[in-house]
Amino acid sequence: MRCYNCGCQLSEKDFCTGCGADVGLYKRIMYTSNFFYNEGLDKASVRDLSGAVTSLRQSLKFNKNHVQARNLLGLVYYEMGEVVKGLGEWVISKNLRSKKNIADDYIDMIQQNPSRLDTINQTIKKYNLALGYCQQDSLDLAVIQLKKVLSLNPRYVRAHQLLALLYMKAEEWEKAGKELDKCSRIDMGNTTTHRYRQEVDKRLEAAENTKAKSGTKKKKAAEDIIKYQSGNETIIQPVNNRDAKGVSVALNIGIGIVIGVAAACFLILPAKENADTSTAQEELRVVSEQLDKKTGAIEEMEQLTKQLTEENTQLKRDLSEYAGSDGKMEVVDSLLYAVSVYMESPKNTEKVGQALEKIDAQAAEQVESEHFQSLYRILVTQAGPSVAEAYYKAGMDAYQKEMFEDAVKELAKARVYDPENGDILYNLGNAYRQNGDRNEAMEAYNLVVEKFPGTERARRSQSFLRELNEGQD
Amino acid sequence: MINFEEELKKFHPSLEVEDAEDAIINQDLTDVADILIGMMKEVKDETLE
Repeated sequence: MRCYNCGCQLSEKDFCTGCGADVGLYKRIMYTSNFFYNEGLDKASVRDLSGAVTSLRQSLKFNKNHVQARNLLGLVYYEMGEVVKGLGEWVISKNLRSKKNIADDYIDMIQQNPSRLDTINQTIKKYNLALGYCQQDSLDLAVIQLKKVLSLNPRYVRAHQLLALLYMKAEEWEKAGKELDKCSRIDMGNTTTHRYRQEVDKRLEAAENTKAKSGTKKKKAAEDIIKYQSGNETIIQPVNNRDAKGVSVALNIGIGIVIGVAAACFLILPAKENADTSTAQEELRVVSEQLDKKTGAIEEMEQLTKQLTEENTQLKRDLSEYAGSDGKMEVVDSLLYAVSVYMESPKNTEKVGQALEKIDAQAAEQVESEHFQSLYRILVTQAGPSVAEAYYKAGMDAYQKEMFEDAVKELAKARVYDPENGDILYNLGNAYRQNGDRNEAMEAYNLVVEKFPGTERARRSQSFLRELNEGQD
Repeated sequence: MINFEEELKKFHPSLEVEDAEDAIINQDLTDVADILIGMMKEVKDETLE
């Protein structure tokens, strides 16, 4: 201890041996400061942090230069979560004694970890924000903020207390009790914590009494349970727990299986079925489109086939006109043969006649070629009379032999090659008449009358016509 | 019975790190020893007069 006046080391006397100043009272003040420091140290060692703060502040009130008290106060503040206050005490301590001061280490510990400092600052800001919410009656928001604060700084006693107060306001006594237990672990001697704890215990007890009065069943249930504290937790365990575990397990498993199957049936299967249905419908749509395309192609092919069949039929028809025994090709071929025969042996009337007979007269009329028709007329004109004469002779021979049927054939052929010959026409009529072909005979006689009027043949033809008409009547 | 409003008044905002410097500067560090020294000086001055 040094003299406040001259700075000399003081002795056990009540005056300074250096300057003579009265230091009796001064020494008592210093002793008192030391006393409070010791008290604060004792309280801090048993975790009565609030009490330690009070004692240490008292110590500093008596002696502001008590560096040890100031350092300890800073440490206690830090432990309670009041970091800025602690930092302030250490700064002052360092200013009072700059060398050999443990406050240097405390300050360096905080300043060398910038993230820690930022976290501390965030914590304080959130706490102040939560306090603002409380004053604005936004208690839910305040609870949220305080939980964030305590997650960042779990030793912040005032935040725990404020949160406990909010839980008490909301009548959540269990939660309030837990927060107060956390406070007690940090700061055992905090009077605020004790007051709140008393209130919470009172309320919890009242709640338990209310439950106890509600009926015998509950009482019996209460008697059947074991209740004990394990740290911060309250363990409640039933005593008679002799239910059939095997049966209950099997029953629970069975119920679980039923629920699982029901969930699968009502939730999973419909969705799967819908997915399958969608897939099938999509495939069906694709197949339908392909089918439509194929159908269209088939219809086109059928149209084409029909068209080609018609063309083929037409071509065959055209071909048949040219081919076959009565085809145009055949007729032309016959004509050429007849022409060649006539040119080779024009006087061989028999051969020429046979060649001419091979020409189908009806088919020859249908040939549209002018050259064909011209050649055919020339041939008939050139060879016709001689051929007709040959047939005429044969026909008359047959008529005279009363072979009227043969006579009709020969004379008819003769008429083909010489249609304007009156004798052939007249005798053909006679042959028809003798053969019983009345209509053909009348036709021939009419032609004679018409083409050769005033002739003997015409007169006789008229006579035969009268006879045939009378015969009909 | 705890009154919520009354209890809430006891909670004050915490000092932020930015405000620490001003708080330290403005802190009154006068202790009993300073008061005693001041009183003794006054007495001494009065005695001299």
